[in-house]
Amino acid sequence: MKLRAWMAMAAGATALMAVAAATPASADENKLEELKEQGYARIAIANEPPFTAVGADGKVSGAAPDVAREIFKRLGVPDVVASISEYGAMIPGLQAGRHDAITAGLFMKPERCAAVAYSQPILCDAEAFALKKGNPLKLNSYKDIADNPDAKIGAPGGGTEEKLALEAGVPRDRVIVVPDGQSGLKMLQDGRIDVYSLPVLSIHDLVSKASDPNIEVVAPVEGAPVYCDGAAFRKGDEALRDAFDVELAKMKESGEFAKIIEPYGFSAKAAMSTTREKLCAAK
Amino acid sequence: MEWDWEFVRQITPTLIEGLQITILATILGAAVAAVIGLAFAILRMTAPAPIARATGFAVEFIRGTPLLVQLYFIFYVLPDIGIRLPALVAGVIGLGIHYGTYAAEVYRAGIENVPRGQWEAAKATNLTARQTWIHVILPQAIPPMIPALANYLIAMFKETPLLSAITVLELMNQAKSIANSNYRYIEPMTLVGVFFLIISLISVFFLRWLEGRYARVDER
Repeated sequence: MKLRAWMAMAAGATALMAVAAATPASADENKLEELKEQGYARIAIANEPPFTAVGADGKVSGAAPDVAREIFKRLGVPDVVASISEYGAMIPGLQAGRHDAITAGLFMKPERCAAVAYSQPILCDAEAFALKKGNPLKLNSYKDIADNPDAKIGAPGGGTEEKLALEAGVPRDRVIVVPDGQSGLKMLQDGRIDVYSLPVLSIHDLVSKASDPNIEVVAPVEGAPVYCDGAAFRKGDEALRDAFDVELAKMKESGEFAKIIEPYGFSAKAAMSTTREKLCAAK
Repeated sequence: MEWDWEFVRQITPTLIEGLQITILATILGAAVAAVIGLAFAILRMTAPAPIARATGFAVEFIRGTPLLVQLYFIFYVLPDIGIRLPALVAGVIGLGIHYGTYAAEVYRAGIENVPRGQWEAAKATNLTARQTWIHVILPQAIPPMIPALANYLIAMFKETPLLSAITVLELMNQAKSIANSNYRYIEPMTLVGVFFLIISLISVFFLRWLEGRYARVDER
């Protein structure tokens, strides 16, 4: 009897959750006005220098937030407030209204383009591996990892590298989701993973900070193209995205864009020589 | 966002794989906790004073620090001194040691609750130490412990999602990884809740039965 009551409660709770989730998030056309009034935009970042970084004092820097901060300023939104998130959690967070934009080096891939409204390209980079000195397992591409039953790869959860590894045929149990760069490096040093994969600039940043002579870098990874990210907005916020694009184009034109991202090691030319349409259509 | 039964069908097998790891971690963790708890309890009750005090301190220390911190320590710090455990083993040891300290207190309470007269009677009838424990003390000490231990087992089961922090691919981690690649949280997270609820409900039912069976025998 008691048990039946419990079961009914459980079923009720489940139904309630389903109803709550079914209420659609209404698209707001005056998103920009809203942000201006609010005085800040909420952005999602990771903590992966040089794309996104959070200093010991809590200050948010990195190429992606810096560009976003400048553009939002020009749009009349004086500040950005960043929250750190896992890559895979960013798009659901955006859809759930927790963030106004994602500026985290979330590379454009067709399935992501289908889920969010990207700005024009901002940061471009290829993929890289950090591995033990001498590359003992001879791993130069994601395919090599798939082919070697002993090789384990670490990558950020929901990041591009995890997807590339899975797409190349590495089974789920050999793709280890690593919470952050430091843990990834530590797991590599401890031999828990054989490869840690991140974009080239991130790997270089991580490895140079660690200055461990037993770690070496393979960059770029064979067969993985150069990806570019953009600021990602909610579907329905295209008006905001378009306003963002206008300012971005102006900054690209005037050279201020290059001035922000090049000190971080990114190539402005790479971002300017391609478009969102091209990147979203690419396989 | 809507509830999508097709997606549920698609992800259930993956989640069940995770559930198996969750259950495995719970069972192994419980076994480790039972043994470690016994060792702690015996050391604390019968060892010479300095060792007993050291054990007491260790138990308090482990109980007073978060399990998550202990898991990080076992997983990320121990390799520095050459102990490299696979993720699941590290998780089982972490759960086992943490809950072992709780189990130790249960054992201690159970044994100390056996009336003094029972010990004296055993001595008076000239039983050996072994006979005293096996025939007199443990049969009276163990039954009241069972519901309390089962309670900790359920608590431990519900703590296993912490293992996802040290890369064990258990239920929670599988759900996160599904959410990460499909941008949908509602179905995977709801299913995780439902799986935990189902197993907890079964356990609660079982616990009630245990209580009825053992806790109230021979009220002294």
